[in-house]
Amino acid sequence: MANSSASSNAPAKKLNLSRFKNLEFVLGILLAGGIGLAVALSWLLFPDGGRAVNLMARLTPPFADPAHLLGTDPLGRDILARVIIGGRISLTVGIVSTAGAVIIGVIMGLIAGYYRGIWDMVVMRFADIQLALPFILLAITFIAIIGGGLVNTIILLIVSQWVQYARLVRGSVLALREREFVQSARAIGVKDINIILRHLLPNLLGPVIVLMTINVANNILLESSLTFLGLGVDPTIPSWGGMLAEGRTYLQTAWWISVFPGVAILLTVLGLNLLGDWLRDTLDPTGRTRI
Amino acid sequence: MRNVKKALTAALLASTVMVAPVFAAGTLTISSPQDPGNWDPIDTFLVNWASVATNIFDGLTYRGPDLELVPGLATGWDELDDGQRIRFTLREDVVFHNGEPFNAEAVRFTFERLLGEQGAAGPQQSNYVAISEVEVIDDYTVDFHLSEPDPVLLTKLAGYGAMIVPPQYIAEHGEEHFDNNPVGTGPFSFVSYSPREEIRLEAFADHWDGAPELDNVVYRFITEPSTAVAELQAGRVDIVIPPTIPVGMIPTIEAHEGISVVTVPSPTVQALRFNTQSGITADENVRKAIIYAIDRQAIIESILGGEAEPITSFQSPLAFGYDPDMELVPYDPDKAMALLAEAGIGAGATLQIDVRGNDSTFNEVAQAVSAYLSVVGINATIQPYETNVLINDIIPEGRTGEMFQQAWGGWTFDYDNTAYLMYHTGERWNPYDSDPELDALLNGQRSITDRAEREAMLQEIARYTADRALEVPLYNVNAIYGVSDRVENFEAAPDSRLRLTRVSVGE
Repeated sequence: MANSSASSNAPAKKLNLSRFKNLEFVLGILLAGGIGLAVALSWLLFPDGGRAVNLMARLTPPFADPAHLLGTDPLGRDILARVIIGGRISLTVGIVSTAGAVIIGVIMGLIAGYYRGIWDMVVMRFADIQLALPFILLAITFIAIIGGGLVNTIILLIVSQWVQYARLVRGSVLALREREFVQSARAIGVKDINIILRHLLPNLLGPVIVLMTINVANNILLESSLTFLGLGVDPTIPSWGGMLAEGRTYLQTAWWISVFPGVAILLTVLGLNLLGDWLRDTLDPTGRTRI
Repeated sequence: MRNVKKALTAALLASTVMVAPVFAAGTLTISSPQDPGNWDPIDTFLVNWASVATNIFDGLTYRGPDLELVPGLATGWDELDDGQRIRFTLREDVVFHNGEPFNAEAVRFTFERLLGEQGAAGPQQSNYVAISEVEVIDDYTVDFHLSEPDPVLLTKLAGYGAMIVPPQYIAEHGEEHFDNNPVGTGPFSFVSYSPREEIRLEAFADHWDGAPELDNVVYRFITEPSTAVAELQAGRVDIVIPPTIPVGMIPTIEAHEGISVVTVPSPTVQALRFNTQSGITADENVRKAIIYAIDRQAIIESILGGEAEPITSFQSPLAFGYDPDMELVPYDPDKAMALLAEAGIGAGATLQIDVRGNDSTFNEVAQAVSAYLSVVGINATIQPYETNVLINDIIPEGRTGEMFQQAWGGWTFDYDNTAYLMYHTGERWNPYDSDPELDALLNGQRSITDRAEREAMLQEIARYTADRALEVPLYNVNAIYGVSDRVENFEAAPDSRLRLTRVSVGE
């Protein structure tokens, strides 16, 4: 505020920007971390797994009964408990499928980028084919053949997501392998595996981690849509997508059944995206990661 | 760029929607959940075929919303030769929509087609195999010769495969043309059909029962319940026919001005049937315990909003063969636990319930059942399937869990139609059980023409299945119609076969 000279304007701008970046970080941690913590504690908070049915208390509106702060669903089950427990499925699917896609995608990308030649051809053409398939078509075909359920949903997401990591990593490897430190390592006869693990991998991780945060959020949304379409997980286990679908019938008379899980998805995805943005600016200031 | 495109598409969609709803005078618009895809009577078994086609075609007999069998294209009939021959007197001066006259020849053609090669390709033939020959006596008299007496035949002549079709029209245009351009003698004639979109009919002024009040009828195929209800609220649809509206949406409709809900007991019954071959449900005591463990009355009052009736066997109280004296197995979790202990089933036993994934009301019911079972120590998971997969693969091939959803229409309102297919050895719907005693009872009642005697036998079959606890008979649901206030003289049909001759629309 006290700045009056033109020359001090630039640093002031920078300061504002970094303050906003900090806000991004704080909000991201609060949202994603808070929801993650609540879900982690759900085993303690709701030992019955949100299954307690009370047909007499069905469709209680939110904030009317202190025992059911967010109201109840058509079977009289507590919405608050089910939203928090529902996070288990969403977060598990989001995290496990992303981890699987990262492992496969990074390995494929490293092989293609480092060895080039036929490996590059095969992996990248395969990736191109994969990218040409619309997700929903892939999902419906896949689930029609091997069936729904938690594990299959995760496999489906891995199959459809590894490509982006492979492409990202391959691109980075193509640039890195021409750099002096890699060339000199090769010149003195370091084994390929050591070059990949010690010289290439650490230099790739920044953009991969950034892509991961955003991918977790994306996969949570995909899991919800799959469950909403009835292609996902068992309906007795609460999940956000499933709750949205169940509440659809009641949207005009009992909005709380689907609104609260919807809010949970919104906040989680928002938190993860904020964290992802912050991570990108911190780890990858030149903005090489294009998503 | 992409957003711009999206916005443009949205605007386009919005504008087409705005243009559509201009009602011609006397036009009724009905929302039906399913397009049967083929309008030929011998090519279908779908109730939503009948809800349209009952206005295009007539049968020799007719059964309306009151479920009484009355004359249709036949003015009268006599049972001769101990039920082995039925003589029909036909209505005179009846014409098909294309001007072709209706006479004994049309009847003979209809049934020869149904029982011949054409009929063999469709699902209707097996319902009419008791007919061995149709003999033309004179222009307006035909004799049906039966290979065995069929006590339900006269009812079956009021619907589906027995609809009378025009011989000349089919000979001229061919079978394929007839599939999508149906011609009958009914009160409305076919105008146009856009698959998965709509079928349009117009009044047939020369109908033998008098001209309809309406000028036009449009059936729109809307599968998604919330869309159908939204269209009803917006006034673009006048009647939403079952099975569309889930119980959970009744309050939505009731809260809206200008539309209302009309319900009527339907033939549709719901049961959770057992895998009697493997898993814990192979034990009769376990099956009985499960029936005791479920509070069906509470489920009906809460989840189904009272729009259902508990049943004691797998048939509706409207069905021939229902025994009003049979008692409902009460809700008794203590008894259930005692039976489970006797069977050696401890807490933590598991079973799987297979359901139709798109039936939102039944999904809630199944979850409530799962909660009731957890009270007696059984851990029940639910496996939703696509409806066609469940009824065409999983059940007939015997790949279900310990329990599975069975919904049954039974439009003939005769328990034989249900029981034989559910319990007789080797039937498609009976992948697990084989009981010689039950087979004998099922075969026995088919050859009996005395109504009282046959009713007693059907009641015995119902009691026998209850003794063996072959299923959890859940409830008989009401058919739920959403109706706009501008519709007059509407009478809800239990079987969704809505005849619109007397219905009219106000402003």
